[in-house]
Amino acid sequence: MLVVDDVTKRFGSLLALDGVGFSVQPGEVVGFLGPNGAGKTTTMRAIMGLVSVDAGHVTWQGSHIDATTRQRFGYMPAERGMYQRMKVRDHLVYYARLSGLSAAAAANMADTWLERLNLTARAGDTVQSLSSGNQQRVQLALALINEPELLVLDEPFSGLDPIAVDTLSEVLREQVANGVALLLSSHQLDLVAEVCSAVVIVDRGRVVLQGEVNELRATSAQRFVEVEFATPTDAVWPGAVVTGGGRRHRISVPDSADPSALFDEARARGHLVGYSFAPPDLSEVFLAAVGRTTVELPGATQ
Amino acid sequence: MTSREVIRLVAGREINQRLRAKSFYISTGLLVLVILAVGVISRLAGGDDAPAQIDVAVVADASVGTVESDDVVAAVQASAAVVDRGATVEFFDDLATAEAALRDGDFDVVLHPAEQQAIFHDDVDDEVLAVAQQAWAQVEVRARLGDAGLEPQQITEALAVAPLAPQVLDGDDETSGVAVLTGTLAAVLLFLSLQTFGTYVLTGVVEEKSSAVVEVLLVRARADQMLAGKIIGIGVAGLAQLVLAIVASMVSLAISGASVPAEVWSALPMTLVWFLGGFALYSTLFALAGSLVSRQEDAQAAAAPIMYALVAAYMLVFIFGYVPDSTASTVMSLIPPITPLLMPMRMAAGAASVVEVVVAVVLLLGTTMAAWKLAARIYEQVLLHRGSRVTWKDAIRLLRSRSGGEHSPK
Repeated sequence: MLVVDDVTKRFGSLLALDGVGFSVQPGEVVGFLGPNGAGKTTTMRAIMGLVSVDAGHVTWQGSHIDATTRQRFGYMPAERGMYQRMKVRDHLVYYARLSGLSAAAAANMADTWLERLNLTARAGDTVQSLSSGNQQRVQLALALINEPELLVLDEPFSGLDPIAVDTLSEVLREQVANGVALLLSSHQLDLVAEVCSAVVIVDRGRVVLQGEVNELRATSAQRFVEVEFATPTDAVWPGAVVTGGGRRHRISVPDSADPSALFDEARARGHLVGYSFAPPDLSEVFLAAVGRTTVELPGATQ
Repeated sequence: MTSREVIRLVAGREINQRLRAKSFYISTGLLVLVILAVGVISRLAGGDDAPAQIDVAVVADASVGTVESDDVVAAVQASAAVVDRGATVEFFDDLATAEAALRDGDFDVVLHPAEQQAIFHDDVDDEVLAVAQQAWAQVEVRARLGDAGLEPQQITEALAVAPLAPQVLDGDDETSGVAVLTGTLAAVLLFLSLQTFGTYVLTGVVEEKSSAVVEVLLVRARADQMLAGKIIGIGVAGLAQLVLAIVASMVSLAISGASVPAEVWSALPMTLVWFLGGFALYSTLFALAGSLVSRQEDAQAAAAPIMYALVAAYMLVFIFGYVPDSTASTVMSLIPPITPLLMPMRMAAGAASVVEVVVAVVLLLGTTMAAWKLAARIYEQVLLHRGSRVTWKDAIRLLRSRSGGEHSPK
């Protein structure tokens, strides 16, 4: 189990991490969420030993993480980190050897992952000749090449087309099914909701919310009423936060609200063709947790 | 994995990358070609100036009477041997034919004993004239001694005088032109190699920093291991190129036909040793400069102080390399950043004592090790501060703050 315990890191006058704490179990996928600059990347780099922490601890299976332990981790940084002029297969073999694999095992793993990620045809091409999506696959292969026990992926989905996202999700699910502990950060909350069993939400260097995705949604003090009218209407909902308009309205209400009373209210405002009363989705939980109604989330909407 | 295995892997990658680049082969090929061409050209040019033998025509018309042709040939060849040259002698019955052959360039001089003349084509060649004078004197003396009644055997004994061996009192004059040329060549080759392969280290470090490769690598290897592997790998590629250039230089010297002092033959291979020392020092400094920036555009600016030092050391070679025995030259050649460039020249000239060389090597190694320790520590610290440009001052401050108690996870 990965344990991040009360970790603090200061860069000059900036308190980047302020007592961050959470854990990731083997076979568990934890989504690491937060606005830009919240401290996600710093936390991940601290786990990988790329940042020295000022206070707190990071442990794996109860022990402090040293170079030897780290050889069993896989890491994918947010920025792509590869030798642009190196050939794809050579790059994988080189990194596998650095990860402690023998020459034969490294070649074997490289071929396995090239095939698994549909890169076999590009094995002899240089990294720079690949599309960004394919480069991302190579980067993922680098993280997986040593069959890691812990995977730390910083924004693995960014810049991928839906097909690549599918491939990546499938590979990750398979890894987790094999007992790998997976921590990934993303701004694509719909993907996180699909892939992750739990989330940790950080803001300004502090964990503001963490837990099982469904539990967080259910225990939220918020509910959402979604109504769909047959024709556009400018109906007003006194005292409520409303998004949408025209035919579709989405109204935020407290979890104590009575669904049937609300249904009657909606019906009074026009001819209904749809009605739902549901807990907030992950992005609404997220927004509530970071205390903002709108947050800059690149790639969060589509 | 042991540290040595990691360094070997990193170095292996660097060597592979170098050996796969076409530019490496093109630059090496050009270098070797240019060096060989110098040898070929100087042989061709030298063939006109200083032919190995002197061609002498002797006009033996009836008026001379009793010229012993064997005596003449022996005398000319003996005189030519004194100035390290061979000689051919041909006899003509009449002056006009001999002069025509002289005009055609078949001979260097026509001797005309009847008129006591040595005839040249368009200019008097002093060396040829000296040879002719001595040969003429010998033939004349031999003839007069014969007239005086001495037996040929007695005459030969009387004339058998060993030539004087030249001796030089002050060593300066021993520096031959070939030695100076070779020392200069060594300095040029070293400068080119240090500059080229030092720049590879610089851009390699910046490439890793700017592309975040370093993030991925630092998870697997320590900063000092990566740095050591990179320097060793690129150094091996540089050494390979220099070995070819040195071999080409020796071949070129042999081709040129110049007489090469023994010091030159030993100084040229020593250039490889000076490359190793110089490369260790300069590449460490280049790596340090590269670690201070995050973009290739900033790399040249950060490396400027080191490039200036290298160019300055190179220029000093042309000031102090030509007076290799002077105190100033001796002192300069002991200053570590200058040593690798200046010492080969002083050694080629035979001016550097063993003690001086040993002291220079010790100083160079000591400085390199100190620079290495500094570089490895600063490198590790700044790698973890990605994204921003770090000034030299910041780097030194980082170093201080680190020793001041900040801990890193090891």
